[in-house]
Amino acid sequence: MHIPDGYLSPSTCAVGYVGMLPIWAIAVKKVKKSLNTRLIPLMVMGAAFSFVIMMFNVPIPGGTTAHAVGGGILAVILGPWAASICISIALAIQALLFGDGGIFTYGFNCFNMAVVIPFVTWFIYQRMAGKTEVTSSKRWIWGAIGSYIGINAAALCNGTELGLQPLLFHTAQGVPLYCPYPIQVAVPAMLLAHAFMAGPVEAIVTGLVTRYFQATNPSVIADQIAARVEPVKMRLNRMWWAIIGLILLVPLGLLAPGGAFGEDSVEDIKKAFHFVPKGMAALAGHLHALLQDYGVPNSRFSADAPDLFHQSIGYYAAAVVGIAIVGGLTYLVSRLVAAREDGGRGNS
Amino acid sequence: MVDFQIPEWLLETQGPLPPLTNSKKARRSFAQKSVDTFSGFLLDDFYAERIAARKGLMQGLHPGVKVATSLVLIFAASCLHSWASLLLLNLYVLLLAYMSAVPPGLFLKRVWVFIPIFTAVIVFPTLFNIVRPGEPLVVLLHYGGHHQLTITRQGTQAAVLFVLRVAACVSVAVLLTLTTRWAYLMRGFGMIGVPTLFLKILEMTYRYIYVLLNGAQDMFEARRSRTVARTSTREQQRFVGNTMGSLWMIALSLSEEVHAAMLSRGYTGTPHTLSNSRIGGLDWLWAVFIVLISIILIGGDRFVW
Repeated sequence: MHIPDGYLSPSTCAVGYVGMLPIWAIAVKKVKKSLNTRLIPLMVMGAAFSFVIMMFNVPIPGGTTAHAVGGGILAVILGPWAASICISIALAIQALLFGDGGIFTYGFNCFNMAVVIPFVTWFIYQRMAGKTEVTSSKRWIWGAIGSYIGINAAALCNGTELGLQPLLFHTAQGVPLYCPYPIQVAVPAMLLAHAFMAGPVEAIVTGLVTRYFQATNPSVIADQIAARVEPVKMRLNRMWWAIIGLILLVPLGLLAPGGAFGEDSVEDIKKAFHFVPKGMAALAGHLHALLQDYGVPNSRFSADAPDLFHQSIGYYAAAVVGIAIVGGLTYLVSRLVAAREDGGRGNS
Repeated sequence: MVDFQIPEWLLETQGPLPPLTNSKKARRSFAQKSVDTFSGFLLDDFYAERIAARKGLMQGLHPGVKVATSLVLIFAASCLHSWASLLLLNLYVLLLAYMSAVPPGLFLKRVWVFIPIFTAVIVFPTLFNIVRPGEPLVVLLHYGGHHQLTITRQGTQAAVLFVLRVAACVSVAVLLTLTTRWAYLMRGFGMIGVPTLFLKILEMTYRYIYVLLNGAQDMFEARRSRTVARTSTREQQRFVGNTMGSLWMIALSLSEEVHAAMLSRGYTGTPHTLSNSRIGGLDWLWAVFIVLISIILIGGDRFVW
């Protein structure tokens, strides 16, 4: 999940920072308002805690272990804004001490892990279990489900960011300059890994730690820091705008990179144009279906403005479809449960 | 009279126990792994502190200039389009490491183990034409009439470019952090405009990671020394969950104590830092030099080679 430097183009990295700056600013403002002088000590401990639990080896069936991000549990105990500050700090230390995650890619790493995970978790947890008793089992169950969906949403964002690279940044010969996997490979690969490995681990951690607090010290999850920060409704609205803004910003920043596209000379394209059909001809038969989508990243389209437009629409559509699937599923589940609850109330 | 007879099972002699480390079944437990991860962190950090204390090129630079020039180099590495210039940059950073008294073995290990090797592994399939079509470089296999499995020119170029780029970026970052103490690193970032509040939290977090890490390590050690039987995954997971929970309780009470300590020392909500280091002439010279090197690399990359 930690994207190292060199995987994303500098212009993409700039978009990540531009998107994160307002989120950080709002987060600090909100948390400071409610915590005042407690802001620094509490965020310090939250960040240190987040850093240390990322190093825990969580046992998984089969005798091996895996690491959790801890974004879900931090959202449950601190609320999403404070959690996003803590995880951002922990990620900065990881990047600077371990080289785990890059310095340029830090913006997007924060977006994926410090924003998407806690906010998605919090949205689901708060909506489904926010009004229940502190010791209700709904709390840990929805916390776990929330973090599972949260980390998968983060993986989707991660895959999208990586998958856009070969479409947008390559040499005239079609050689990708950064992460070489196109979106149709990057997104499923990320989602698969997170749906079956990192997702369950994140869910287990959130569920178990929430249960631990329910049994030993319910005041930790009762409200404390999380609820003190800001009313839920407000938080979600602004958050969604920030996310939508970031999605919109991505192609804008990428369309004017001043990089690969401007440099492609006509000769290069002509040269490329001559060999491509030969290479394709050899593969045209059985592998046709597999290669259909590859027409886009291939070299002969690289420098054409109309095709850049098509490419943009293509990846845009893929990103929107992906976000819509996750968002839609979340909404569907929440509606189903809400309906069931209403039904139950009506009967009693 | 009671017959003191030694039971038969006690008289049985037992052969030597099978060595634990060699058997595949005796995998390291989750507790052991966690303890190893923690001590690995402490060890890495300890070595980094020692290297940062040495006398060398990078250690002598002003932290602000060092951070800024490192970012310039990472930017240059991100902009380069040819493998030759990326290789050159990699070698240059290696030279810088050597001049900064960083042991080359340790430096190469820190840089290459994991991220670039991991990158090479994930990029491997793109070498082949079935994943990414392109001009054939080496034909590996003919199948089904006119079909071929080839290593493509584009695939190879992309893979080499990608791995070298990632390695260059990681090298610069590793060199920066190995040769700079945490407090100076924070000061350096402060000078390039990173907000004080963020840096203050970062600086303090670094301190308290040690405290929490010690707490966690104790809990895992205690658990490990009391575990004699094989435990179920479920029970292990519950232990990890409980450990995290109690760690948070420690963190929470610590934050209250730290808060009280800060207030009693006159903290009003705005962090202040001392900044007394000045940028010297040599630092400026270094900054100009690095910018020139980056311009030459990027320029050469675009127009010469």
